[in-house]
Amino acid sequence: MKRKKAENLSVQMSSMIDIVFLLLIYFIVTAREEITEAHLSVNLPAPGAAKATENKPKMLEIEVHQGQYRLNGAPLETDVIESMLMGLGRTDPSMTVMVKVAFDAYASELVTALDLCDKAGLTNLNVVSLR
Amino acid sequence: MKARSDESLDTPMTQMMDIVFLLIIFFVVTASVDKDVVDESINLAQAKSAPAVETVDPRAVTINLTKKGEVNIALRPMSMQALYNFLVNMRTQSGNSMPVLIRCDAKTRYKEIGNVMDTAAKAGLYRVRLVAMLDQ
Repeated sequence: MKRKKAENLSVQMSSMIDIVFLLLIYFIVTAREEITEAHLSVNLPAPGAAKATENKPKMLEIEVHQGQYRLNGAPLETDVIESMLMGLGRTDPSMTVMVKVAFDAYASELVTALDLCDKAGLTNLNVVSLR
Repeated sequence: MKARSDESLDTPMTQMMDIVFLLIIFFVVTASVDKDVVDESINLAQAKSAPAVETVDPRAVTINLTKKGEVNIALRPMSMQALYNFLVNMRTQSGNSMPVLIRCDAKTRYKEIGNVMDTAAKAGLYRVRLVAMLDQ
């Protein structure tokens, strides 16, 4: 009885390391970094060329003010803008979209506007500041 | 002699496991170190429907922009002039199509973002991306 107890006390290192090793490999293999970021790509107008692109036909203008969005000048709610953009995105996804942003607008508002365009499939997004 | 040869045949497992284990830890630690340094104080804006990023161009430059409009690259603070010089430098190395990622806080005013975008445009870089958090 006494002898058996003494035997149990010495930990079996090699088998324990085996198991630890296997567990470690299992966790390394199954751990996959979750993608949590999205990149919203925008085009920048060349410095000084902003004037040339104005008032072209087939151009959509979204104004981002602090707490307000305007589509071609009309103040609208985001869900209205969303449905309109979806319709436009289906007809002409390569349409030029000018996103004009007021200086005091927050980044989150700009991101929301770009995200709506992205959802509608519009790819030609240009960001300019509102003057 | 015979006994000795028998002895050397069975591998000393414990030591081998120890070493393999240490090697794995070493590689795991070094693999995660060379990732991009990001400013953890930035709360990214949420994007609901944008597709998740799968591959990032290795040439991409990440610019962190805090709520107060302070610019830093890999936690090194930069003035607009320093940023301009840096971007011009990077452009000569990697070309016009080099993407610029702007990680800005959700509460950053557009005034600051516009400044950074103008600086990028002045440096001749027109592929700018705003980084947002996926809303899940």
